[in-house]
Amino acid sequence: MPVETSLNIAVLVSVGQHPVSGRARRADQDARAVELGLTLAGRSLSLVHVGDAGEPALRQYLGMGLRTMTVLQEAPEADAASSLLQYFATHPADIVLAGVQAERGEASGLLPYLLAERLGWPLVPRIAQIRAIENGRAEVLQALPRGQRRALTVPLPFIATVDSAAPGARQTAFGPGQRGLFDIQRGLAQADVARAEWVEAQARPRPKRLNVVKAKSAAERFKAATAKPQGQGGQVMKQESSREKAQAIFDLLVAEGVIRQ
Amino acid sequence: MMLDWLLPALLAAALGLLFAGALRRIRLWRRGRPEPVAFLAGLAAMPRRYLVDLHHVVERDRYMSNTHVATAGGFVLSMLLIVPVHLFGLESRWLNLALLLATLLMFCGAVFVFLRRRHPPARLSRGPWMRLPKNLLVFSASFFVLTLLTSGLLPEGFGGWVLSILLAAGVALGLAEMLFGMGWGGPMKHAFAGALHLAFHRRPERFGGGRSTGLKPVDLEAPTLGVAKPEDFTWNQLLGFDACVQCGRCEAVCPAYAAGQPLNPKKLIQDMVVGLSGGSDARYAGSPYPGVEPGNASGAPHQPIVDGLLSAETLWSCTTCRACVEECPMMIEHVDAIVDMRRFLTLEKGETPNKGAEVLDNLIATDNPGGFAPDSRMNWAADLNLPLMAEVGRAEVLFWVSDGCFDMRSQRILRAFVKILKAAQVDFAVLGNEECDSGDLARRLGDDATFQSLARNNIAVLNRYRFERIVTTDPHAFHVLKNEYGDFYPEGKGGDYEVLHHSTFINGLVRDGRLQLKAHKGGTVTYHDPCYLGRYNGEYEAPRALLNALNIELSEMERSGYRSRCCGGGGGAPITDVPGERRIADMRVEDARAVQADLIAVACQQCTAMLEGVVEPRPQIKDLAELVADALVEEVHEPRKAAMSQEQP
Amino acid sequence: MSDVIRRDPRTERILRNRLHPLHESLAGGPVRGPTGLLRRNPHAVGFIGPNGLKRIDRSSTGPAPSGRDLRRSATTHSEEPALPLHRVEQPDFYVAAVLDMAGGRLTSHDRDILGQAQQLARSGGGQGAVVAIVLGEAREAGFDTAGADRLIQVTHCDGQALDDYCPERKLAVLQAVEDQLGPRFWLFPDSVHGGADLGARLAVRLGERPAVHAWQVTETETLCRGGSGRIDIRRHTPRVLLLAEECALPVDDSRHQALPIQLDEYPDVRVCIHDQGLVPVDPSQIPLAEAEFILSAGNGVRDWDQFHEVATALGATEGASRVAVDDGFMPRFRQIGATGTWVTARVYVAVGISGAVQHLQGIGRCEKVVAINLDDGCDMVRRADLGAIGDSSEILAELLALAREHRGGKDTDATVPETLEVA
Ligand SMILES: Cc1cc2nc3c(=O)[nH]c(=O)nc-3n(C[C@H](O)[C@H](O)[C@H](O)COP(=O)(O)OP(=O)(O)OC[C@H]3O[C@@H](n4cnc5c(N)ncnc54)[C@H](O)[C@@H]3O)c2cc1C
Ligand code: SF4
Ligand code: SF4
Repeated sequence: MPVETSLNIAVLVSVGQHPVSGRARRADQDARAVELGLTLAGRSLSLVHVGDAGEPALRQYLGMGLRTMTVLQEAPEADAASSLLQYFATHPADIVLAGVQAERGEASGLLPYLLAERLGWPLVPRIAQIRAIENGRAEVLQALPRGQRRALTVPLPFIATVDSAAPGARQTAFGPGQRGLFDIQRGLAQADVARAEWVEAQARPRPKRLNVVKAKSAAERFKAATAKPQGQGGQVMKQESSREKAQAIFDLLVAEGVIRQ
Repeated sequence: MMLDWLLPALLAAALGLLFAGALRRIRLWRRGRPEPVAFLAGLAAMPRRYLVDLHHVVERDRYMSNTHVATAGGFVLSMLLIVPVHLFGLESRWLNLALLLATLLMFCGAVFVFLRRRHPPARLSRGPWMRLPKNLLVFSASFFVLTLLTSGLLPEGFGGWVLSILLAAGVALGLAEMLFGMGWGGPMKHAFAGALHLAFHRRPERFGGGRSTGLKPVDLEAPTLGVAKPEDFTWNQLLGFDACVQCGRCEAVCPAYAAGQPLNPKKLIQDMVVGLSGGSDARYAGSPYPGVEPGNASGAPHQPIVDGLLSAETLWSCTTCRACVEECPMMIEHVDAIVDMRRFLTLEKGETPNKGAEVLDNLIATDNPGGFAPDSRMNWAADLNLPLMAEVGRAEVLFWVSDGCFDMRSQRILRAFVKILKAAQVDFAVLGNEECDSGDLARRLGDDATFQSLARNNIAVLNRYRFERIVTTDPHAFHVLKNEYGDFYPEGKGGDYEVLHHSTFINGLVRDGRLQLKAHKGGTVTYHDPCYLGRYNGEYEAPRALLNALNIELSEMERSGYRSRCCGGGGGAPITDVPGERRIADMRVEDARAVQADLIAVACQQCTAMLEGVVEPRPQIKDLAELVADALVEEVHEPRKAAMSQEQP
Repeated sequence: MSDVIRRDPRTERILRNRLHPLHESLAGGPVRGPTGLLRRNPHAVGFIGPNGLKRIDRSSTGPAPSGRDLRRSATTHSEEPALPLHRVEQPDFYVAAVLDMAGGRLTSHDRDILGQAQQLARSGGGQGAVVAIVLGEAREAGFDTAGADRLIQVTHCDGQALDDYCPERKLAVLQAVEDQLGPRFWLFPDSVHGGADLGARLAVRLGERPAVHAWQVTETETLCRGGSGRIDIRRHTPRVLLLAEECALPVDDSRHQALPIQLDEYPDVRVCIHDQGLVPVDPSQIPLAEAEFILSAGNGVRDWDQFHEVATALGATEGASRVAVDDGFMPRFRQIGATGTWVTARVYVAVGISGAVQHLQGIGRCEKVVAINLDDGCDMVRRADLGAIGDSSEILAELLALAREHRGGKDTDATVPETLEVA
């Protein structure tokens, strides 16, 4: 990959949460962003976290092979964007990478947009790869559903969010993680007042919409109405001819939309 | 006469060289990390360890055992006598006679060595080892004749100068092999290193019939974790590598080697020897790692091992079955070395291959390798009404459920065991969601940090309750609970309970008449010894006794008991999944087919999974608990209602 | 198809009367009885082919064999009542719904957004109008029934088409809407098709704090799903909303005016991001974990060339069981299961795979599973939504033929080229 070596690449990392147990961990997309950064910049990559350096999960990022991480020490209710804005005013970067959205809290994914807007940089969402950086422009691949990719070019400096389709993060190693250092800077963020009014509660299960008729034509709507509800075991075809079985499979493929009509 | 001055000179030179070489070798070992040993006690115990413990292992090969006694005994005696007789010229009829007998004994032994070496089995190394029997013969014959001459038992001037020259050459050759070679890395090195290895073994508990199979903890504060370079091993590990005689017994029993995975324990130990002394494996003359061209490995004490001496795949192929350790006549600890190197790869490099990283992440985040919700540990037993420790506080038996609770197949074993517990009216309880993975998997994958944190969590939970024994159906959990948690009990607290495998426990119930069993019906049955039950914990009897109680006459596989072949499921091998030419489990099922087994009785859920992973048709696989539960004679008056609903929906 | 709704009482009568001589020819397929119960006529399956053999054609895509289908669809149509038209002549405020229009059509998510927009337009006093905003070319005719009172359709901005990825230009259009209409609410689908991206951009541009992953919205209060789906956040409803799928019921009982609105002028755009186009991706090269249609081979595959051909013809990504990998028929990175990849495909077709636990673990999150297997009792067939019991090579051969017919049929009729996939 042709990459100018003198690039300053920073990755914004957050404390994630395991989807099943809810325990703190490195956030998956953030870790993918670190991975992407490491392939571009190696160990000169800088990591920035807004929050508390005492959080053990942060060491999982250091365990990916980085010696230090900058922590803008902030109270939990601080507004991370204002803190980062001040940081990047004094620590210029060419590329800032982040996950698409956090794993905790509001997880709005808005932070990169706020930064981009206030820094006046372009933002490229959901990238899977940075293919090349030449003459002050980067060619990136944006992840689309179904494994599709779109090529985009964007001038430096820019912010990109890294999609879950980007290469998986390398394993974090315990030893380097424990020995890594935090460069702690007192943050000067304002408190996020809007959030104070919100009420958080354990997620309620969302009611499943029953019998949604998504079909376009009457025939399809009919099919949707008569389709067997899920979870009752499937249909088994034994006596029919091979042709009929194949036809049934083919119909299913078409109905599921995996064969282009 | 020429020999009068030449002989002492040669002897003195050879001894001097041996001495210099030995010093150099000792310096090489001392490059390893320090480890305290009972120095004098070890030296004092050495002869006994050699004569009893080592020979206990060597004796599995009768031929070689007798041969070795004759040759080695003869040689040691000869050397003890040669020094006074030929170096210091002490003249004594009795000494001469003794020396003659000693050399004769050695000669006889050497003849047998020679015979064995005419058509050596594939596991033996060639190269310098091929010339050893000849040199043994030359040495013993030369000194025999020489002693005959000097003792005046032969007429003066017998043989003339021709004989003198021949003898001089023979003595020189013999001394070169036996003494110079011993100090400078020839095949005889094993005698010198082996003796010291026995004296300073890092697991002295193994001698005198003991067992020491638990891995040693990593100091997580150390500047590097695990072994990256040969000098990161402890000094007595390095010494141990040097003791290897390249007999290849380890190679012959290694399941990974047989499956064509790139691991050969003998080569691995030899590579460590290359590493500790510096150089390349060009002179290695044994079987290579399957699929890896030999001759390209090189290393030095301060150079990284992985990708210099061997590839990471070699390390990850090992199932930690301990067959090699069990079989090694020099009592070398292959598994310790392999896990030490894995520790570096996992803890320092973050290079646990394949699904390893994911499994470790899961263990950290959910306390189980599958990433299942930690509060769903009791879902399997929703209908069983199991008493929870958190509620009852004390019980006679703590049933350690293990991660089998998340796996549908293992749940059948767990349910069967619960049925047995209830039938025998055992006072038991489970930990429920308080239980974590035992840490076995994390530890074998080299992640001692995660192992230690899991172990400490579990210990904290265990210390909260009162019980007399822990019983588990999982030999891996059994092993770590029994043998590896001891290092982590907070000062003087806890650990004062028995840990039992369910086979032992059920067998006890049967012996005490607490279970009524019908005879098992069905075809031929064979029993597969799980490594972590058998070799790790020496339990070969209880499962067999139990099967016997079911009126089963076992049709034993060729490799059973301490020689049992691994199912391929240990050491995280199914997770790192290094490709080979065959699957270990397939070979094991083949072993069972060879004795026409219709059913393989196992005593481990991991073995069940591995063997059932073999493509059908194959023998049925059933855990002991399932066999016993099926054969239970149901009590007419069921004492507890809960024991009724057993069958899985 | 014409939308004129025409009842045919005679056909309806025949359909109701199962003893009518013409009943069979009309009620060929499964039909709902008057009570809504499914009625099947087991004798009416298939038709007699020219050689006198009974033929069953299950293809819903093939050319309609007779006039039967047409007439039947006419009858189902006739059940739909004419929808009342909802008029908004002088809106007091606007609710803007920016639509994804993936593939140029309304997605189901778009319809939910419009449904939500209608709810907001009718609450909180005054009469609001829902403005559907469509950026780029569209091939959709149903904005009226989907709930759009007004329609802003912009295909070009700054002299450039809005079809590619051009968030900066699209944002400029939205700013123009803001300037001209000042909507009370801005609604976006919180989707990967651009809705979430555009919504976030507009929110920061307007200095609004949007509600994200919102799934229950009233005029005053919004419930948002938080990180990892583990918490709900209750908050005041902001101006900009990024709405989750199924946040509201789509409009289905009214028609709307969908009056076009022209935008006066656009602000200047500084375009930094340039779209270089889609990178062609071969379905077989899609990483298994991302693939949405997987054809997977096991120990029961007999003809490997045929298997690969079928995968290519169907445009499926290939997967394999461990045995197929061990035996050297498939590369290791294709292995699915405990020690291979865990896949999330929408459709997973297992050919000759017995369904060992280690394999099933890897497909736990697949939506539809199809099993082709000789053994109807094996675990894969039990797991499957559709099990075809029979020899794999025979069924694959038929499948291959079907795929080729399908392709063949398609190449001749000139369909509109697909620009983006519909999820
Ligand atoms: C630790 C461990 C990890 C494992 N990990 C994985 C893993 O990640 N992925 C994985 O796939 N496996 C894994 N396995 C192996 C797994 O247990 C099974 O052995 C394997 O999945 C079986 O593959 P199969 O279904 O292709 O073969 P089989 O079990 O032999 O099944 C073949 C099937 O094909 C059918 N069949 C035969 N002939 C025909 C025909 N002509 N037409 C149609 N059908 C036919 C048969 O009825 C049968 O159902 C693992 C095993 C272990 C122990
Ligand atoms: S390690 Fe032990 S068993 Fe293996 S070759 Fe060396 S001495 Fe023999
Ligand atoms: S422990 Fe088992 S697998 Fe590992 S080297 Fe020894 S014999 Fe081979």
